[in-house]
Amino acid sequence: MTASTKTRTGSPPMAIWKALLLSLPMFLITALLPLQALESGELSYIVAILVMWLGFNVAFILMLTTGQTYRYRSVLFILLAVALPLWFIPMMIETHGSMMLSEEAFVSAEANFCPLATFMVIVPALVKRIVIFPSALAGGLGFATAAFMWAGSTLALGRGWCSWGCLFGGWDELFSRLRKRAVIKNIDRRWIYLPFGLLLAIVLLSAVTLSPIYCEWLCPFKIVTEFQAPTSLLAIIQIITFVVLFFALVVVLPLLTRRRIQCGLFCPFGALQSLLNKINIFEVRIDPEKCNQCKRCIRECPTFSLNEGSLESGNPLITCTKCARCIDICTKNAISFHIKGTSLQASPAVARVLYLYPGFVLLFFISSANVGAALHRIVKLITTGSMI
Amino acid sequence: MQGFLLGLANGTTCLTFCAPVLVPFLLEEGKNVRQNLMTVLKFLGGRLGGYMLFGLLAWATGSLLLRTTSYQGLVIGAAYVGLSALLLVAVLRKKAPAGACAFEGARATFSRWPALIPLGMGFLAGLKVCPPLLLAFTDAASTGTLIGSLFVFLMFFVGTSIYFIPLSFLGAFAHVSDLRIVGKFAAVIVALYYLFSGVLLFTGGVRL
Amino acid sequence: MMKILKAICGYTLAVLGVPLVLIGIMGPSYGLGELFISATGLTLSPWFDGGEVVQTIDHGTYQTHVHRMVFDALIGERKEGFVQVDWVPLDALPARVDEEIEADGDGQADFRVEVDTANKESTLTPYASWVLELEGTYKPEGSLMVRVRLRNPSR
Repeated sequence: MTASTKTRTGSPPMAIWKALLLSLPMFLITALLPLQALESGELSYIVAILVMWLGFNVAFILMLTTGQTYRYRSVLFILLAVALPLWFIPMMIETHGSMMLSEEAFVSAEANFCPLATFMVIVPALVKRIVIFPSALAGGLGFATAAFMWAGSTLALGRGWCSWGCLFGGWDELFSRLRKRAVIKNIDRRWIYLPFGLLLAIVLLSAVTLSPIYCEWLCPFKIVTEFQAPTSLLAIIQIITFVVLFFALVVVLPLLTRRRIQCGLFCPFGALQSLLNKINIFEVRIDPEKCNQCKRCIRECPTFSLNEGSLESGNPLITCTKCARCIDICTKNAISFHIKGTSLQASPAVARVLYLYPGFVLLFFISSANVGAALHRIVKLITTGSMI
Repeated sequence: MQGFLLGLANGTTCLTFCAPVLVPFLLEEGKNVRQNLMTVLKFLGGRLGGYMLFGLLAWATGSLLLRTTSYQGLVIGAAYVGLSALLLVAVLRKKAPAGACAFEGARATFSRWPALIPLGMGFLAGLKVCPPLLLAFTDAASTGTLIGSLFVFLMFFVGTSIYFIPLSFLGAFAHVSDLRIVGKFAAVIVALYYLFSGVLLFTGGVRL
Repeated sequence: MMKILKAICGYTLAVLGVPLVLIGIMGPSYGLGELFISATGLTLSPWFDGGEVVQTIDHGTYQTHVHRMVFDALIGERKEGFVQVDWVPLDALPARVDEEIEADGDGQADFRVEVDTANKESTLTPYASWVLELEGTYKPEGSLMVRVRLRNPSR
């Protein structure tokens, strides 16, 4: 196939002038961050934020001009995840002397509230009006901050959070993209129900025990954030568990399968987001008339959200994270973003831009707290020899 | 709450056993949604009766056996370990055991009073011993009071029953297979929790 | 007509995506977090913050705060729980704190606790049968704290 006959995949590319015009609101919205940084007066921080702001907006323009969403989103999403430990761990060392939380931190509620803990706190909060997580309620990285972020992004994007806002999903995505070919190709489809089973069991167990069971026992990402110091045999077992889970679910299996195993086949928070996908205005749709049943989208979907039934019905499963991989690889351009309530023949380009905006804004601002802070730490390392 | 937890996490297993016989029974009767709901409610009423009987038995067992021993932690811990292992086996088996839903027995017993068939079926189903029921039995026996014991089984009943209401709307039956797999996974996790709790209790609450 | 209305609703909600995300991210910086907490009446689980202080004993240079006994379950109470005792401020404490604590509100001491302020070594002497053991001794910022494991006396 010559370059001139190569099939175009992804959304229709846009003329540069149109892309710049459509990007203008994004420049302005995201400029809030460099403006805030200027007030700090710290040169290294201002430089870091400006670099980040420019980089992200260039990526947004490229998304529009090339019509490709997945590759740019993926790079930024991975950057977000990798940046988190680069600033979080030095921050923990500064405030607690270690990335490990002492018992004092738990009894004085000094842990940082992770958005992924949201699903566990809902039932006790509704029944007893208590928050079962040892963090501050408001301010800083407390419960209310995470709750607002979760609520706003869920209403706007549904399970799109998992591909545009999650602090950890980028790790899964990174390892899933390292190999060119999958070693394990056939995965029993019943595993896609595990996150829902975990959601049910963990919500119930956390309500009964009034403690965040998933955080204590099953979260693989404590390895890149914070965890309880090994002051007891129980804590040691917990540490071993999350290290094993991280390497199995986030590193090895994604490497071997080229899929986001932790996100698609384990994460109970993702299961909650899947259920909430129903109330989100955005969706991915497949045009059965254009589809030639090549099933490449089914093979490539990182979260197992497409099956043969999807190709017939035109709808992915509720677990779709709207990462746009299927949209960008479909050789028949049969897959696109769609706004519920609008005609199926409505312009997919409009739906795409309307989806990219909240998705990208979420990605940018969450990254600001991670990529920006990580860049700042790196600049500090270069200029002072220490990240602390 | 633990009764409710067990019921909710294991209710899909109960549904798996009972839906294949309850649904055709609903279908062959040719009823509308309201009539189907009445049938399901009778079935559930019968199950509640069976569970209350178990609650009474659990209190009696607790009073006779647990309160008289100073090895309460040991006994309950051992029960948790054994029963959670049984629950894991039950969840992971491929086929439901024969006669799991007691339908034919109820039909024969109440053949002269057809209106009582679902009630009888529910009662006999409620008496069917299964690992989640035995775990609830252990919890109930350790409460120390009759009210406490009955409450555990009431909550167990509520937890399992949530899955049966959609049967009245047979369209929901299409998702039973999905719910079944979700329930199996949930049941495994709950079983592991009880296994761990049992080990802790059995080892005398060793400070880990 | 219905189709047009649905489309308008769809596009409107789609456009609201950006403000929703911005409110979610930035709202807490503008006090919405505190407003949310006070409006909902949410508090931290007593299993983490020790519950409310029910008794304060003034020793002149320092104070003893005795919290309520915590047996909270999602519904009802558990068979076992704890009581938390704090001494503040840390830098005004004597080298050794030795105090009898009354936890259940009946006016009679239920246990005695002795704590070495420097190395956190503690000894518990239970007076009531439902006082089980010392759960831990901690030094969160500015205070000294012990948690004593209890069996629920009402169960």
